[in-house]
Amino acid sequence: MKVFFATDIHGSEVCWRKFLNSAAFYKADLVVLGGDLTGKAMIPIVAHSGYWQCVVRGETIRMDSRAELENVERQIRNKGFYPAVVTPDELQELSAEEGAVDRRFSHEMLHSLDRWLDMADGKLGGGRVPCILNGGNDDFFDIDPLIEASPLVNFGEGKAIDLDGFHMVSMGWTNPTPWNTFREAPEEELTAKIDAVVSQIPDMERAIFNFHAPPYGTGLDDAPALDETLRPMHGGAVMKPVGSTAVRDAITSYQPMLSVHGHIHESRGVKRMGRTLAINPGSVYGDGVLQGAVLELNPKKGKVTKYLLVNG
Amino acid sequence: MAADAVGSETTPTLFLRNATGLVRGWSIRDTIIYACLATNFVTLGLYEFTFAGPAFPKGQMLTAVIISAVWVSFLVVAYSGLIVTIPRAGGDYVWQSRILGSGLGFVMAATGWWFILWLWAPIYGNILSVQLFQPLWATLKWTWPGGGAAWFGTDNGIFVVTLITIVIAGLLVSLGMGGYARFQKWCFLGGMIGFAVIVILLLVNSHQDFVNSFNLYGKQLFGVNNAYNATNAAAAKAGYSTSPFSFGPLGPTMLLVPAMMFFILWPNWGATLYGEIRGASDFRRVFTGMFVGLWITVLCTVIFFLLIDKTVGWGFYQNLNSLDYNLTPQFGIWPYPFLFAGWLVHNTAFQVILILVLSLWFFAWVGTLFLSSTRVIFAAAFDRVLPDKAAEVSEKRKVPVYSLILMLLPAAGLGAVYAYSTTFRSYTLDATLVIAVTYLFSAIAVVVLPFVKPDLWKASPASRIKLFGIPVVPVSGLITIGLLVFNLYEWLSNDLYFVNSHDSLYYMAGMYVLAIVLYVVARLVRKRQGIDLGLINKEIPVE
Repeated sequence: MKVFFATDIHGSEVCWRKFLNSAAFYKADLVVLGGDLTGKAMIPIVAHSGYWQCVVRGETIRMDSRAELENVERQIRNKGFYPAVVTPDELQELSAEEGAVDRRFSHEMLHSLDRWLDMADGKLGGGRVPCILNGGNDDFFDIDPLIEASPLVNFGEGKAIDLDGFHMVSMGWTNPTPWNTFREAPEEELTAKIDAVVSQIPDMERAIFNFHAPPYGTGLDDAPALDETLRPMHGGAVMKPVGSTAVRDAITSYQPMLSVHGHIHESRGVKRMGRTLAINPGSVYGDGVLQGAVLELNPKKGKVTKYLLVNG
Repeated sequence: MAADAVGSETTPTLFLRNATGLVRGWSIRDTIIYACLATNFVTLGLYEFTFAGPAFPKGQMLTAVIISAVWVSFLVVAYSGLIVTIPRAGGDYVWQSRILGSGLGFVMAATGWWFILWLWAPIYGNILSVQLFQPLWATLKWTWPGGGAAWFGTDNGIFVVTLITIVIAGLLVSLGMGGYARFQKWCFLGGMIGFAVIVILLLVNSHQDFVNSFNLYGKQLFGVNNAYNATNAAAAKAGYSTSPFSFGPLGPTMLLVPAMMFFILWPNWGATLYGEIRGASDFRRVFTGMFVGLWITVLCTVIFFLLIDKTVGWGFYQNLNSLDYNLTPQFGIWPYPFLFAGWLVHNTAFQVILILVLSLWFFAWVGTLFLSSTRVIFAAAFDRVLPDKAAEVSEKRKVPVYSLILMLLPAAGLGAVYAYSTTFRSYTLDATLVIAVTYLFSAIAVVVLPFVKPDLWKASPASRIKLFGIPVVPVSGLITIGLLVFNLYEWLSNDLYFVNSHDSLYYMAGMYVLAIVLYVVARLVRKRQGIDLGLINKEIPVE
């Protein structure tokens, strides 16, 4: 069985399109997107009389036609941002009104994910290739029912999904971060969540953990050390492990065949933890490149026979 | 979900929500310090001046340094463009792999950031020997081991100090950069204070003060009578004559440029960029850090040269260097100008402290020796070019055992060759040449980037940097190619750089052959295992 795993595309539409094409490209039997689907930023495009205007990467862009507007919107989406077309009055309201930005963000994220799920129609081998999506710590909870309701993908969170004899369990929650994001919990709570979902696995020899948080201190979780103002220390030259001890302990004690992770974009790598192959393919979604792992699983032996980290 | 607005209060241009990884830009001051330490005026600069001056006596080093820095400034622009376009810690390996192809990326990274560092290890060792052990032993008149200070210049001495350097650099890789980065900044501060003391000494003392001190300590520490005049006489006897300190002529001065690359080509050494919401300000931030770091180095060099001319005497400095260049150093040790400046204060404790403080320039710099190699080895292992074990880290001590072996053992072996073969020691500029070739391909990558990866280029803040409508980054890439091709031509065609002898060329070619063989074997072995390495950087179609 050939699996393609990617993660942390953070709203990048070009990465989503590539993900949809990954099954055909890598001849995969299963594709998995590990979490953090939604973007982090929204760019207001202000509609004036006869033209639109926005600022992208510090540069003011004026669009005089709808075609130009669509082109800029596409570029913004490809970077993982949400274009939000607003009138000057709406922009003022967004700035002034408590909670207005949050509401607009929610709207754009759900609208975007809805469009993405529509795009899946006709891709993924016409629905023949199973696809598992999961939330990550940066994804707000409103996306869960949307994914759950899609007939084209499976929502992984908290389930043990049977994949021709292999069982994949997913958890998008992570240990606490300095950003206080949606799916964060103390390590003890993560352990309880992991134990609950892992208890559904009938055969650990053929188990796959799809946990957003990488295991602590494995080299799959090295992020730039930050000072109290969230500025990288020492020019970004110093890295420190920020993964989850609960995830590390779970891998060490349960010893699944494979454990796939994301969350820490800089920490692309592979780590053998006993019989478990742990992988974090990393993410460079901002460049429009879909980093991932192509994995071949042997159902008879219950092991990963081949793996390759790719920059698709 | 709590969001922040960027832009003015009434007309925000970007809304950011709370999400992992949204960090503030790093401090430019840090980048400046790392760029300054990489283009290390003390360790690399002073070391190279000893050889460059005597090799090209008609050239002017001051002009050569300024020309080199102006030219390297374009390399800074080109690399800033690459850094903000593909801000990965893997640097050249990632850029070249993504833009020019995996195989080329591996060969250039393996040779320029891994294999050639084996040669840098003994060069670092030799610099530690001549800037710390030799002056310290001489000042304290220690006679153990046999020969005292001069022993550190012997084959055994060089080898032992090389091993010490390799152990220090290996330990720093093992212990991690956390504590070291802090130590580095204190070292930089200390080193700068040390240099400031040198500046004051050379500024407030007269030429005659220097001559008197030089004669006094030349006699006291080395038993040489009337050492100042003796130095000039020995150089004249050897047929060496230098040009007075000035700015020209341009022709012979240009020949000094390839030599100056030994210390001035590295402002981009430690530059990486984290942060995902990137804008034009990031380009300015990256560029400013490297550019200011480079020009602080140039400023230090200019001040040093002017003060040498004023107090030491330019001709004397060159004569002193020429004796070392001809393997007949005046005092039997490398002519460390800061040691001689320290003699202006007739106090041994002061002189020892000054040597130790100035050695901080070395200790701030040595930690970078194997850091890039570790990154390349890990990246190559994750790309399945090297065996998985190469990226293994021991559970208990968190030490990258196998990658350390891949760095330390060849470095120690090459250190022995370097120590016991004066011919091999003369291939010092090979260490610069091989990295320059790697840079050349990154410069080519930045020039072709707008054509090969137009979407990536258009989305990059670097594409917005224009002068009279012309994109500055690719043009700077072209100018960088000019710089590197000029240097490569000179290095390979002019015997005075000591890199174009048959053995030197075989040595360098051997590294490229080794990298190519590694890559080809990896492709074949992985193919047999059913793994297609060609897939690594193949782009998935979007539509």
